[in-house]
Amino acid sequence: MTSERTTLRCTVTFAIGFALQLVAMGVLREAQAAPMTFNTALPVADGEFIFREQAILEQSGNDPSSAARDFTVWSAVSVLGYGVSADVALFAAVPYVDKRLKLTESGSRRARGARGLGDVRLFGRYTAFRKDWPGHTFRIAPFAGVETPTGDDDRTDVFGRLPADVQPGSGSWDPFAGLVLTYQTLDYQIDAQAGYQANTKANGFAFGDVAQLDASLQYRLWPRALGPGVPGFLYGVLEANLVHNDKNESGGADDSSSGGTSLFLVPGLQYVSKRWIVEAAVQVPVLQRLNGTALENDYVVRAGFRVNF
Amino acid sequence: MNTLSRFALAILATAWFTTAALAAGPSYRLEVAGLACPFCAYGIEKKLNAVKGVERLETNIKEGTVIVTMKDGVTLDKATAEQAVKDAGFTLNGFKQVSPGDSQ
Repeated sequence: MTSERTTLRCTVTFAIGFALQLVAMGVLREAQAAPMTFNTALPVADGEFIFREQAILEQSGNDPSSAARDFTVWSAVSVLGYGVSADVALFAAVPYVDKRLKLTESGSRRARGARGLGDVRLFGRYTAFRKDWPGHTFRIAPFAGVETPTGDDDRTDVFGRLPADVQPGSGSWDPFAGLVLTYQTLDYQIDAQAGYQANTKANGFAFGDVAQLDASLQYRLWPRALGPGVPGFLYGVLEANLVHNDKNESGGADDSSSGGTSLFLVPGLQYVSKRWIVEAAVQVPVLQRLNGTALENDYVVRAGFRVNF
Repeated sequence: MNTLSRFALAILATAWFTTAALAAGPSYRLEVAGLACPFCAYGIEKKLNAVKGVERLETNIKEGTVIVTMKDGVTLDKATAEQAVKDAGFTLNGFKQVSPGDSQ
């Protein structure tokens, strides 16, 4: 009985701690265009498709609790965007996740984990304002969608049911909405986004809601001078993500070791041609004010490509 | 290959390229406002390539222009060009017919 309570306590603690990480790094990013960690207001042409694939490694450790948790998540996120019109685009983001948790429970070191399809995100974006000039453009686009419970949320291992954060899916329908602004010139691009995701309950558990502010600057490093034609652009990228997570709720009560506010800086590189983009970036936490023993994020590495077809 | 064969081959190649050039129809210079990155240029080119009678496109991202060359005997009207650019998510800012070699 004591062992079960200890397991339950560690499980809940873990779930709380990692809710912040997963939600912060996963729910508000999108796949269509310029920034690497969130959305853009740049268009998808009427009737055309864009495909994006991104591999993500999220590492968390530095556990303030005695469980000495070490959590690693590998994700491959495939995104298909379709231009319903020049102003309306629909997106589907399909994640495949592999989650591995090491922790000390009941005096022994344990490894728990799961892999499989995650929660598919479906959303639409509408360009509400557009002003084009020669060589630059400014756009404002609200977006809204839902994270669907396509991932398993009832996986078990020899120790019992996996914690919520180790499950491939949440089991809940989670709506989200936001607004993204983009100002793009031939030399640089600025994007900014505000978003909110309301996480609902499943199996007596709900991840805390997430509010997020993002900003991105892309600066053309090469070629320094533009010639004729359409040369590829090498951009230096610097992004910032300010994320606030509400506390998770379990069994009708808030978990005091969940939620908090984090700020990430994201340096990266991106090569953009007419047909494809390759990109890589590292998300580095510069501020993490988390509640209780919530687990801190060490870093997130992203690499991927996008294709126009 | 002897000198005479090379000369004959050069004549044939020149004749082929000249014929191909003369067979092309009129060219148009489109000024596209909002075009500022290579990835966006693809959407514009794809929409313009879907216009019936388009022979080839030359996009100049620095100038924000696309030179559209039509097939022989085919013309491009401004409304069609404007719709193609609009469908790509951009704004047509200028449209004029240009003579061959006057692409800028």
